[in-house]
Amino acid sequence: MKRHFHELSVAGTLVLLLLVLAVLAPGFFEPQPLLSRLATAAPRLVVACGVALVILTRQIDISIGSLFGVCSVAAGLVATGPTGIPGALATSMLVGAVGGAVNGTLVAGLGLPSIVVTLATMVTLREGLRLWRQGVFINLPDAMQWFGLPMMRGQAVVCLIAVGVLVALALMTRHLAAGRYLYAVGSDAEAARLAGLRPRLTTFLVFVGMGALVGAAAVMNLVQSPQVDPSTGRGLELEAIAAAVVGGVAVSGGRGSLWGVFAGFLLLSCINPALTYLGVKPYWDKASQGAIILLAVVADGWRRRRGGT
Amino acid sequence: MTKSFFHLLSAAIAMAALLGTGCGPSNNSASGDGATQTAGGSGKKLMIALMPKSKGNAYFVSCKQGAERAAKELGVDLVFDGPTNPDPAKQNEIIENWITLGVDAIAAACENRDGISTALRKAQAKGIKVITYDSDAQPDARSFFVNQATPEGIGYTLMDEAGRLVGPSGEFAIITASLTAANMNEWQKHIEARRKEKFPNLKMVALRPCDDLKDKAQAEATTLLGAYPNLNLIMAICSPAVPGSAEAVKQAGKAGKVKVIGLGLPSENRRYVKDGVTDSVILWKTEDLGYLAVHAAKGLADGTLKPGAKSYQAGALGQFEIVGDHLLLGKPFIFNKDNIDQFNF
Amino acid sequence: MMNPALRRILVRHETLLVVVLILEVLFFATQGRNFLTPDNLTNIIRHSVEIGLLALVMMPIILTGGIDLSVGSLLGLCAVTFGKLWRDAGWGWEWAALGTVVVGFVAGGGNALLITALRLPPLIVTLGTYSLFRGLAEALTRGVDAFTGFPEGFLFLGTGQWLGLPAQAWLFGLVAVGIGLWVHNTTFGRSFRAIGFAPEGARYAGVPVERRLALAYVLAGVVAALASITYTARFGTAKADAGTGYELAAITAVVLGGTSIFGGVGSVGGTLLGVAAIAVLTNGLSRLPATMSSASELSGVFTGVLLLLALGAGILPKAIAALRDRRSSAQTPAQPVP
Repeated sequence: MKRHFHELSVAGTLVLLLLVLAVLAPGFFEPQPLLSRLATAAPRLVVACGVALVILTRQIDISIGSLFGVCSVAAGLVATGPTGIPGALATSMLVGAVGGAVNGTLVAGLGLPSIVVTLATMVTLREGLRLWRQGVFINLPDAMQWFGLPMMRGQAVVCLIAVGVLVALALMTRHLAAGRYLYAVGSDAEAARLAGLRPRLTTFLVFVGMGALVGAAAVMNLVQSPQVDPSTGRGLELEAIAAAVVGGVAVSGGRGSLWGVFAGFLLLSCINPALTYLGVKPYWDKASQGAIILLAVVADGWRRRRGGT
Repeated sequence: MTKSFFHLLSAAIAMAALLGTGCGPSNNSASGDGATQTAGGSGKKLMIALMPKSKGNAYFVSCKQGAERAAKELGVDLVFDGPTNPDPAKQNEIIENWITLGVDAIAAACENRDGISTALRKAQAKGIKVITYDSDAQPDARSFFVNQATPEGIGYTLMDEAGRLVGPSGEFAIITASLTAANMNEWQKHIEARRKEKFPNLKMVALRPCDDLKDKAQAEATTLLGAYPNLNLIMAICSPAVPGSAEAVKQAGKAGKVKVIGLGLPSENRRYVKDGVTDSVILWKTEDLGYLAVHAAKGLADGTLKPGAKSYQAGALGQFEIVGDHLLLGKPFIFNKDNIDQFNF
Repeated sequence: MMNPALRRILVRHETLLVVVLILEVLFFATQGRNFLTPDNLTNIIRHSVEIGLLALVMMPIILTGGIDLSVGSLLGLCAVTFGKLWRDAGWGWEWAALGTVVVGFVAGGGNALLITALRLPPLIVTLGTYSLFRGLAEALTRGVDAFTGFPEGFLFLGTGQWLGLPAQAWLFGLVAVGIGLWVHNTTFGRSFRAIGFAPEGARYAGVPVERRLALAYVLAGVVAALASITYTARFGTAKADAGTGYELAAITAVVLGGTSIFGGVGSVGGTLLGVAAIAVLTNGLSRLPATMSSASELSGVFTGVLLLLALGAGILPKAIAALRDRRSSAQTPAQPVP
């Protein structure tokens, strides 16, 4: 109980919000728009899980929004060719993994600070993509949408993939040696090295994995509409990082769980629709978002302060 | 540490001095350059600068294509630059850079009417000819406005279209790019004025921003459809929001029941218009807009277009009427099922 | 305090930047059109004052190992506050400016309080206030309201010339010299460095860590307010979207200037050079015939590349040494990854 106080407090806030909605706007829980909303959110959850792993190893990646756009465009261009969905998925994940490998090489190989490296790749990728594509939409073949399934099933598949990624990563970080490495490297890279782990390789692989997840998420997003907007993914990095830290992943590395990320993600992605359902004016969006982030972290800080750690 | 700081300070001062002395000669040659250019006119290629509200936006890319065609026909150099995101302060910075670059004419689409006028007035004071297109600045900050549609015209057309589709009473929601986008706020004002005057029982129930992203617009529209089950129409006033909203309506199975209208490009909306999801898309010929903007800017720079003129002959596009200081491109089109295939931008 | 080897690296980084800057100037002066004219130099200075001010206060924060993502949003909030006080409350612009600085002080104080009293990571706190401040600016104006029609006397601050330099350059110079002296010549500044190196060590050495940290964040708030005033005076309009993205531009300049993002290492001079290198690049690209029409995108791309190169150059010797180390220690065949 005490160890999971943070996760529980975030989950509690979420439940509170859902209760308010249940009373004031029960329409929020109607199955169909709810499933659509979950499907829209699913790719973002995958990205948030990925960035949580990065933060666990005491790094950060702010290039994921730009990379998401690049992967979407690459997948979109390939999807119009003969290889169809598998080709698009493979391309997207490959492009993502290569992008991640570039970040990973600079961070793990050369020992450069990840926030600066990914700041640089963020602007380079974003502006490069703009130069290349000029913002023109890409039309996708019809067979691409919902993986060729009927809509509801397609939505379910997208959601299941996201939950699958979440559960797999949660179990991995909790129970597999590879998962524990992340915590070890994130808490103290030098100690991890002395214990026989390879912190640089771990960090590198985490970045590659992050990129591949971004690529997969891009395709999960792609199948939900027949056109690719090359600006897609703008601002995604902050959304994902906010979900991870609100969910209790410590930016100092080595502390946090993916269940917490899940709770943080659900809380943050509920705010905007909740405000629409409650009829709150849109100019309160950002202020509410900021207030809730602060509330979540302040509650945690306050508790730790009083706990006397 | 202290030492190295002052080391640097002195280095910086030395740099400044270097820049200072460097200014002298090149300054002279530069102003000499400028003089021959404005005086000679025919001797040197004119340089026309065209500014979009933001780059990487399909609407302005389409304008740019027309502008390039005009530049080629007229034999002028075209510079096309603008902020990468709709950032009004950045527009001013680019215009100020163009002033010192020494362009001959500027054609700008203004994100923030008052803000950009400061920079445009400065350009005029330096003898640079200024016109605006797409969205106007203050009248004293430019010679002509290439008017494809006034904010009033856009607002009224949208509202009338909504009224025609929904009937005298019902609910509608607006999806905009951001709450701070100046021109969209201007349109909303006119939409609201028209609503009050002609359709008082049509209720605007919600306004949502989509950050100029199609995917976000789709998510917002899905939420709106759930939150307002009696919604009759979604009005999307930034171009990515039109296909985004249409996709949401289609997925919710409410095609035909909830109408979608908006301002957007035919190419991005063709499939929805044909499927009967989107009822009408309102736009003008964007390529012609870019063409006319550059043509008129050149006309102003070489004297073929003078203040007070009643019409302007714009190359391949023919004659355009001038009312006051507005060069009229023509009325906005309403694209629908019947005519959308005739347009490919 | 600082070992000589580190100092050499520091000096070298800034020398490198001076070289980059000179190369940029030479290149654009010869290849670009009307680059080295007084008017254009005025432009370069004017356009970089706000980001420069934010970079100057970001630098001590990064020196302590912290970060402030909220400065751009705070600039927007302050610009809107200034407009409200001047137009709606009817204050004179001087008083409105003073009121704005107070708001900046309070907002910076809020960040400081959360970071020091609750010992929360600055990244998270300022990520929250990044949304909060921008959100408040939008809520105050409903996003729609824009303030304009400011008096000439006020606009002079942003558009006028004084003693041959743009008016806001004097303010910028004053802040730069002030922060330079403060960071490099006082015990305060040295304690920032100490905090960045080892916060616990600094605490044991008797440095009031919390109070020093708080000061850095409060100062960021105050200077963000000043930047909002020069921004409004230059642009002539105040709106809730003012300063969007400026926090990243400021951080980029600071890091390009050689301040370590981990804290402990950096100089104000380097930060100024970082600001200048980006400003000259952005301006210069708009005057090359080949890049005129893609200047906005290319300045982003090149800034990113420059940042990586600068970082790479900084650690190159160390990295080579580390690589050699690893190679000699890893004679055994590589183990499969678990």
